Order: sequence, then structure tokens, then C-alpha cells
Amino acid sequence: MSRPFLSIRAVRKTFGAFVAVHDVTIDVPKGEFLTFLGPSGSGKSTTLYAIAGFQDPSSGDVLLEDKSLLSVPSHKRNIGMVFQRYTLFPHLSVAENVAFPLRVRRRPDTEVKRKVGDMLGLVRLEKFADRYPGALSGGQQQRVALARALAYDPPILLMDEPLSALDKKLRQEIQAEIRRIHRETGVTILYVTHDQEEALHLSDRIALFKEGRIEQIGTGEDLYLRPVSEFVAGFIGNSNFLSAEHLQTTAGAATVRLADGSIVTGVKATTPFGQGQKVRLMVRPEAFRLTPGPASAALAVEIVDTSFFGDRRRVVARTAGGDEIDVRPTSDAQATDSATTSGQRIFFDPASAFLFPA
Amino acid sequence: MPGNSLSRSSVAGLPAGTGGALPALMLVGLFFIVPVVALLLRSVTDPEPGLQNYAALFGSGTYVRVFLNTFLVASVVTAVTIVGAFPVAWMLAIMPPAMGSIVFGIIILSMWTNLLTRTYAWMVLLQRTGVINRALIGLGIIQEPLPLINNLAGVTIGMVYIMLPFMILPLVGTLRAIDPMTLRAAALCGASQFEAFRRILLPLSLPGIAAGGLMVFVMSLGYFVTPALLGGTSNMMLAEMIAQTVQSLLNWGLGSAAAFVLLAVTMALYAIQLRLVGARRAGGGL
Repeated sequence: MSRPFLSIRAVRKTFGAFVAVHDVTIDVPKGEFLTFLGPSGSGKSTTLYAIAGFQDPSSGDVLLEDKSLLSVPSHKRNIGMVFQRYTLFPHLSVAENVAFPLRVRRRPDTEVKRKVGDMLGLVRLEKFADRYPGALSGGQQQRVALARALAYDPPILLMDEPLSALDKKLRQEIQAEIRRIHRETGVTILYVTHDQEEALHLSDRIALFKEGRIEQIGTGEDLYLRPVSEFVAGFIGNSNFLSAEHLQTTAGAATVRLADGSIVTGVKATTPFGQGQKVRLMVRPEAFRLTPGPASAALAVEIVDTSFFGDRRRVVARTAGGDEIDVRPTSDAQATDSATTSGQRIFFDPASAFLFPA
Repeated sequence: MPGNSLSRSSVAGLPAGTGGALPALMLVGLFFIVPVVALLLRSVTDPEPGLQNYAALFGSGTYVRVFLNTFLVASVVTAVTIVGAFPVAWMLAIMPPAMGSIVFGIIILSMWTNLLTRTYAWMVLLQRTGVINRALIGLGIIQEPLPLINNLAGVTIGMVYIMLPFMILPLVGTLRAIDPMTLRAAALCGASQFEAFRRILLPLSLPGIAAGGLMVFVMSLGYFVTPALLGGTSNMMLAEMIAQTVQSLLNWGLGSAAAFVLLAVTMALYAIQLRLVGARRAGGGL
């Protein structure tokens, strides 16, 4: 196996008795877009700050191409970063902001000029070169910040929730820009966000943080289709959790009894459960059908609400056990007005459901 | 004047509350504008009409030296105050508010302590047989007492001490408005602490430095007590000269002329600052 480009080794950060990051270890290949996803306070930003040099880890190491970064002060790490807040220098024009890292590196004027032109072209803000940050929108400011962070061709670009201050439409626009820039520059990106959609949209891999630890790391598909815990299943995508009791497992296929007494067989069980153990059955909203398919399990529900979102329909149903579940029928046939009724049945393929300890 | 001539319509163009400002405005008008005009008149009429007082002022080597010395002292005091105040203001700006208010309290308290007391205290500390010299000799660092009083050093020490709060307060306001993240961004961009200070922090804090610097400079120009007590005869300042001219020499015309020149210089400086920094910021953070 080739040596990892960036290696985060057993990084731990404590604040007094509080452990913010528990021995996080990740290897990042060159050119990867890796996202640290997690709720606030899960240690994702702290880990990023250790790489940036803002907070030294209490123990562990960060290696870039086999050389430790920890003894290198921030300004010599040669790392690019885009921050959550707008951090452009207000007294400098857009062009001078982008030129700043090159000026402190004493690069010749001709090179600075060319590079600033390239960078502003990359973020499509050539026309704004002479404006001052105060005259730009939030989205434009973050694009300038991106240009500034990439101007000196850093091997790693850190992004700390750069879009959280923007509205949804703008966020999607800039996400597309970030994807394009990642493609065009091939820079290795470590991206922090608490927005799972953003993480799924942007990343090659996602490291999901929980209470200072990495709960699961893998591609978006890994996390979505093969969650290792209820936390992962709940954080990535929308999920429905149904209380159930585990009856038996044979050859990885579990049989459970739901709260309403119905029996579901053929559920994937990744961990062993005891007989009679309380469990939670997780079913994605899009896994539900309004019409029975082959080998499907059925749930007696009452349809509470149906709403239309243009490209899809959302149905809220309530089980006999009182759990509210989110159903997202995938085809038109299913969507055809399944009016609000009680005594309705919805169906799902047990093979697409997951079982977690309660 | 009829009693109701100040009808609503006559003040309609003014902002609400103007009426309440009248007493203070009248006080300033009566006890500031009028004396200044009187001063100006006196400087060109006493003892006889003409510009002879100004001619005497600018014609005499002694007086010109006092002027130059006044500007020298004010410049040195302002420069030292800026250099001394900046780190304190920065510390206050990034400190947790609870701790910051304690430091603020100490600074404000020093401003409330009597000026004369503080200056006499410096005399005790700085004189040849004072605490500082004796301590340094006792520690074997120096053999002979340092000349710390009755010279520029003494005046500078005493005045910087008094002026520091006037520099720190407007500067803290400016520095607090700077997002510390901006400096982290500068660091990651490759700027050393010095580069970040020179290219980011310093330019961003210029309005505060200008506001505080102007205030300190102007106050220093007209300072009397501290230079009189801690300064020497060879570096007399303008205020002291005016006092002597009026009190000892009873030359009101010359004293008025000197005072008026001081006022004119002060106003000119203020006008320059308005131009450079903008009217809104010239008032500083006080």
C-alpha cells in the first residue's frame, strides 16, 4: 500500500476534563474530497483546527507526505483555508485579497498578477477585481476566500462550514462551484459541515463524527446503504425507526416482531442480537411502497398527511403503535392520490431495512 | 422680543430635543466662543492695535524654541503613547469581557485620580535620590543616578502615563471591531505575526490610532502641570510660557497671541484628521 498523502494519527484534544476529540485516525489520499460530518460539538472542527495549526492536539500526530505538521506554525504550513465567517481583509480590494498570500511570499509582481487573474477566473469573479469585500454578497465573498486560499497552490484545502451563512439556493450554487473547482484543480479538500445533504453532494468520502469519535467513514453510499449504527442511519438521509423485538436470526436474516404484533422476516442483521432483545427497525422513506411487491412486509397504518413537492410526494403515516413514519413513494402509480384514510397498508422489502439495538 | 416668538414653526427644521440642548450650547457660546474672540482681539490690540505680538512671538528665538519644544514633546509623548497603548488595547480587545472590565476599571480609576497627586508621585519616583534611582544603584545596575527629571525623559514618562487611557479607549473600540478570524486567515495565507500586524492589523486599526493620537497630541500641546513639574527650564512648553507671560510679565497681548496660535494649530490638526479619516471616525471611540 502506498503511503497516505495526509495522515491523521490518533489525534486527541482535551479541554480540561472534556475530551473533544478521541484518538481520531484517518488516512487521506491525494486529491480526495473528504468531509467531516457531524452535529455541532462532535469534534469535527477541532480536528480540522489541529490540521490548520490553530489548536495543537493533546496527543497524536498529523503527517503530510510523512512529515509531521505539528511543529510547523500555521503560517508555514502552506495550507489553504476557507472559514465559516467572512474573513476577507476589508481594507484590501478583491484582487489584493487574492494576492495577499503571494505578496507575503514575496512572489514577483508579474506572477502575482497572472495568478490573481487565474484565480478570479476560477471562481468567475474577474469583473469584481477592484471591488472591496464590503461591496460583495456573502456568496461572492466566500468565492473570493476560495480564490485566496487556492492562490498559492496549497496541497490541502480546509473548508470549515463555508456555506453555513448562505441561503439554500446560493448554497447549492456554490456547492456546484466547489465540485467544479475540486475537479479542475485536483486539490485535496477536507470539508467540515453539519449538513448531510451537502456532505453527500460534495464528498468522495464522509467521516461521520459523534462525540469526538468517528462513528463511520466511507463513501456516501456506504453510509446511506450500510450504516453501522442507528446514529449513522439517523444522521444520513431520512429514516424511520420502528420499535420491535428480536425473535431469531438465521444466516444473517433476522425475524422481528413489531409493536403491533406483526412479524417481519428477512431483515439484515449486521450484529448479533439475543432472543427477545428490544431492537429498532430502520426503514428509509423511499423503501416504502403503497402497493404490495414480492416478498414484502406489511404495516397497518393510518395516513395522516399527503403533500406534493413537485418531483416527489411525501406521505406521513401513523402505525398502530403510534410511531409516525415518513413515506416517499417513488413512482407515479404509487403517488396517485392515496387519500387520507385509516386502515391503509404500506409495504417494504425487509432486505432494505436495518436492525439496531434499542 | 415677544414671548412666543420661538413658535413651533421657527424650530420646526431642527431635530427634536434641540430645546434641551440650548442651556449647554449657551454655556459653551458664552464661556468659550466669547473668550476666544476676546483673546484674539486682545492679541491684536494690546498694548496697541497691530500684529506686533505675533511678530514678537515668531521673531524671538526663545519663543520659537518653546513652540518647537512643545511640538517635540507632544510628538514624542504621542508616539510613545501609541506604542505603549497598542498592546494593552489589543489585549483588552481579545480578553474575555469579565476580565476586560477589571482592566478597564483600573484604567478608568487612574483617570479619576487627581492629576497633581499623580505628577508629584512621579517626582518622588524620578528624582536623583528617588525610588527608581536608589533601587537601580542598590541593585548595582548603575553607579550614578540617571537624570530622569527636569528633562524630556521626565516629561515624557509623566505625560505618557497620563495620556495612555485616552489612547487605549478609542483603540480598543477599533480593535474590537476586527474579527480575530481575519488574523487566523492571514496566518494560514502565510503571513508571519509581523506580516499580519503590518499588512492587516495596523491598517485596520488606523482610524483608532488617528483618533486617539490626535486627542493625545492636542492635549499634550496645551499641557501645563506635568511639564511644569517634571520638565526642565531648557524644555519649557507653551502653556507654561503663556502662564509666565501673563502672570509674571503681565503681558496679556503676547500671552493671548501664543494661546491663539495654539488654538489655531489644534484646529488645523483636527481639520487634517477630518480629511484623512472622515468626520464620523474623527471623534474616536470615546
